[in-house]
Amino acid sequence: MNRLGAIAYNTFREAMRSKLLYSIVLFACVLILSGLVLGQFVLNEQLRLTRDLGLGGISFFGVALAVFAGVSMVYKEIERKTVYALIPKPLHRWQFVVGKYLGMVLTLAVQMGLMAVVLCIALWLQGGAPDAPLCRAILLLFGQVAVIAAVAILFSTFSTPFLSGLFTVGVFIIGRYSNELHAVILAKLKESPELAKVLLYGSHVLPDLHLFFVSGGTVAGKTVSVNAGDYVNWTYVASASAYGLAYAGCVLALAIWSFSRRDFV
Amino acid sequence: MNDTVITVENLRKTFAFGFFRRKVEAVRGISFEVRRGEIFGFLGPNGAGKTTTIKMLMGLIFPTSGKCELLGGRVTDLAAKRRLGFLPESPYFYDYLTGRELVDLAGRLFDLPAAVRRRRGDDLLERVGLSKAATIPLRKYSKGMLQRLGLAQALVNDPELVVLDEPMSGLDPIGRKEIRDLIVSLRAEGKTVFFSTHILSDAELICDRCAILVRGQLRDVGPLDQLLSPKLLHTEVVLECNGLKEAKRLAPDEDVDAVLRAALESGVKVVAVQPRYEHLEDLFYREVEAEKRAS
Repeated sequence: MNRLGAIAYNTFREAMRSKLLYSIVLFACVLILSGLVLGQFVLNEQLRLTRDLGLGGISFFGVALAVFAGVSMVYKEIERKTVYALIPKPLHRWQFVVGKYLGMVLTLAVQMGLMAVVLCIALWLQGGAPDAPLCRAILLLFGQVAVIAAVAILFSTFSTPFLSGLFTVGVFIIGRYSNELHAVILAKLKESPELAKVLLYGSHVLPDLHLFFVSGGTVAGKTVSVNAGDYVNWTYVASASAYGLAYAGCVLALAIWSFSRRDFV
Repeated sequence: MNDTVITVENLRKTFAFGFFRRKVEAVRGISFEVRRGEIFGFLGPNGAGKTTTIKMLMGLIFPTSGKCELLGGRVTDLAAKRRLGFLPESPYFYDYLTGRELVDLAGRLFDLPAAVRRRRGDDLLERVGLSKAATIPLRKYSKGMLQRLGLAQALVNDPELVVLDEPMSGLDPIGRKEIRDLIVSLRAEGKTVFFSTHILSDAELICDRCAILVRGQLRDVGPLDQLLSPKLLHTEVVLECNGLKEAKRLAPDEDVDAVLRAALESGVKVVAVQPRYEHLEDLFYREVEAEKRAS
């Protein structure tokens, strides 16, 4: 456990000393605070705009940070040969991969937490306050980012950062529009239901990220919005988080399998 | 207690490169043992397969076939790794860390308590002469400093076996002497040192036994005095006459006494008489030439 912690802490420390990641977080905070200015142009909807802009910013920049940091997470260690000094230590290869993931998730939690605090400040300055639906929405966004981080790490165990970035963004886009993808498959393949069934099952290999960004969409046939009183409850957040955890676990298992077979030439 | 700390049996590694998976045999069925408490030199020219063999021993790459064991266990056994210290070739470390942080990270991976890590870290940084640079980020370290820091992190767990891949490469003569002295002091502490090098003079000064690897094949293993031929190669005589010096190389069957007597009788000054036996360098060239002829 100590070794996992050592790898995770070192990964976190690396991110905390990266000026580039700070810049991205700073840019996200500026975007969130811009809601204060933009709100002046919207009559009686200032709070709604700030919340939507803030959540959108946290989602976008959270995923951007996960992709940016994740795609080079393992690749960089092999390319720069820093892994040579670590693997001969009493450390299993799986501990290295899981440690890197945990360090990355901790980094993302701190960065998203910082963005959430800035959003709360923006709301307070407009006379509003963070409420339970906002907290649930932010937790769901964190679940989405944790899944994307695992996908990025998987690709980084066998591919270059550029290709890993393309693959991860592809998975993110398809995962985010999984509902629409299912609808398209069913509509286009009416005449061949068997093929549709295979494609539908196959599409479950990709993450259903729609689960994590539900505001403005429908859940169980009901429209939900983070700005109204009908947002998803804590049970939904728990089940979506369990799905995210299970999915990230499976992806990490694949990453471990890939990393464990590698020769560090 | 088992007297063998490294066992390598018929070890092979074949790499496949490119689109057509062209095969290159880097290590071709080598076998040797390293005994407890000795300094074992793993010698060979560049591209001989030294680093590939060490990487297999360290679990960084997987052998194509054959067996290698460390401290009586498989190379992936954590129990064996706990008693092992390793310095990679031209070490690369996290450049955002300071020297002290790197040694501390290594200590954490060995589950050492914080107080032990702190004490041992300070001692080791002192030992390798980096105390004053302990709080400087590694990106500001020179190559020699990184090499010495690599040794410090390799010793953090007070290992029984220390494996060093080209520990003297890139160092100036003073740095090389410091590393040689450190290796000898490790042996005095009862540790086994296995190190690779292509700097033969260093190996000759400190090795108890050595192995010579050429093109992935082991040419010789054993104590240096057994590997080196006891045969006299030649005798070098330096003579001086009217302020002019001249060196003569006498074949082993030539009568040195007669040459010296004749020189003295004719008023020539004898400056030096140096019998020349085989050095490690001669042996090395002999093995490389033999391999070239064989292939």
